[in-house]
Amino acid sequence: MEQFVQQLVNGIMAGSTYAVVALGFGLVFSVMRVVNLAHPEIFMIGAYVAFVVITGLHVPDAGLDVLAALAVFLGVLLVAMLTTGAAGLVLERLVIRPTRGTYILTPFIATAGVSIALQNSAQRLFGPDPVRVPSVIPAYTFTLGGVRVSSMQLATFLTAVAIMLALRYYVHSTRWGRATRAVAEKPDVAAACGVNVNLVSQLTVGIASIMAGAAGVALGLLYTSAAPFMGLLYGLKSFICMLVAGNRHIEAIMAVGLLLGVVEAMVTGYISSNLRDAVAFALLLAVLFFRPQGLFGSYEV
Amino acid sequence: MSALLQVSGLEVAYGPVRAVRGVDLEVHQGEIRAILGANGAGKSSIIRAIMGLVKPRGGTVAFGGQALHKLLPHKVNEWGIAWVPEGRQVFSTLTVEENLLMGAFARRHDQATDARQQQVMDMFPTLRERRTQLAGSLSGGEQQMLAIGRALMSNPRLLLMDEPSLGLAPKVVRSLFDLAQEIRARGISILMAEQNARQALRVADYAYLLEVGEIRGGGSATEMEASETIRRVYLGG
Repeated sequence: MEQFVQQLVNGIMAGSTYAVVALGFGLVFSVMRVVNLAHPEIFMIGAYVAFVVITGLHVPDAGLDVLAALAVFLGVLLVAMLTTGAAGLVLERLVIRPTRGTYILTPFIATAGVSIALQNSAQRLFGPDPVRVPSVIPAYTFTLGGVRVSSMQLATFLTAVAIMLALRYYVHSTRWGRATRAVAEKPDVAAACGVNVNLVSQLTVGIASIMAGAAGVALGLLYTSAAPFMGLLYGLKSFICMLVAGNRHIEAIMAVGLLLGVVEAMVTGYISSNLRDAVAFALLLAVLFFRPQGLFGSYEV
Repeated sequence: MSALLQVSGLEVAYGPVRAVRGVDLEVHQGEIRAILGANGAGKSSIIRAIMGLVKPRGGTVAFGGQALHKLLPHKVNEWGIAWVPEGRQVFSTLTVEENLLMGAFARRHDQATDARQQQVMDMFPTLRERRTQLAGSLSGGEQQMLAIGRALMSNPRLLLMDEPSLGLAPKVVRSLFDLAQEIRARGISILMAEQNARQALRVADYAYLLEVGEIRGGGSATEMEASETIRRVYLGG
């Protein structure tokens, strides 16, 4: 039982980042009917920003007190979110906007091209091997009733939760969030209501990219590494999470992301970590086989 | 008197298909004008071109002297034109109130917006009762009220109504056209595309007959009702 709860907790902590990346996919797809294949690479940029900033600061390993560590962590998050947000705006203007609303595969292929270019640029800049992201959060383990949570796991989880709550607030309770939902459902009618659809497109890709950047920082610090192709597997899993949840409800995407993390942790804990990805993919594909529109419904293309 | 809306030589094409061919029409301040025609005649294309939702291949659209045919829809809305789309097209995943607020999106939210929302809800009391419901749960007639209410929220000078009677019960259709007259009485001009010639001619001041993308005739409602073609094809007598 204790092991079960431990794996459940581990799974939720790791799954929260899947949820954040999957939300970015889902947000961009539901609003613009564009599969943004460069999204995982924006996430990768976030991890590399963490690497560059923290290495540049010469932070001694675990040599910071709690407040300083928190300040550095939040600072790195902020720099990464600004960088990936800007990257997202450029991506939207140069690649997504000109191809949006044409044949569905056009933006798909265009963003795939960006994705490959970004992977290879990272390889060129930082080398093909993973780089070590120094951890800034002091290693500490909280224990509650035999269940252990590391400080970094907690930081990752809290970051993800904060992002999800912020997104939820934006989408449901702000004027532009309302416009975003309207564009997702009926872009023509929203435009005729006075919504500048290009601006919504920009905001949406920008926000999705900021979220991916934050997730990249959190994951880079959690696994203390960044690599040029780290977005591939991560992005694929998040993308399938979005398909399984359906892109109509952001809450559904969050839940499926967390669930994937839990499934993976359970497989690792009870069967073998070698089978982790296989079981996760098989399960996700099985759901899609029976419910191609996703568990909670999707917008039509 | 110069027209409020002046459409000249409008051409709309989808690839090689010419849906609208050199259409001239106008709407004067305080008028209801109707475009009558069968399915596929190009009525919706004209409406969508005025709203800026399709780029015309040729011709001009002027509204109060301002050229609109190069503007994006949200700019056209800002100039004072609102659209009641064919088949209602309410935002079904938004609540009734959110739908109304979307209608006023381009306007600064102030007391005037609140007052207009109250006016719309006075006009359609069911919308007030169902304020917090999702618009997708409304009946067809209620959705049509919401679509009209949403359009009125932007305080337009011209209302474009695309097939407002489509799919509604005959009784609802009748009250809908009465409503068009009520809206006109508030100083809002209307251009409607309709297949239901009988009802449209009952409230319109002037009507155009559109066939295969071309205007084949036009006249005051009384003239049109007397016209042989209209009687034979559209009024079934």
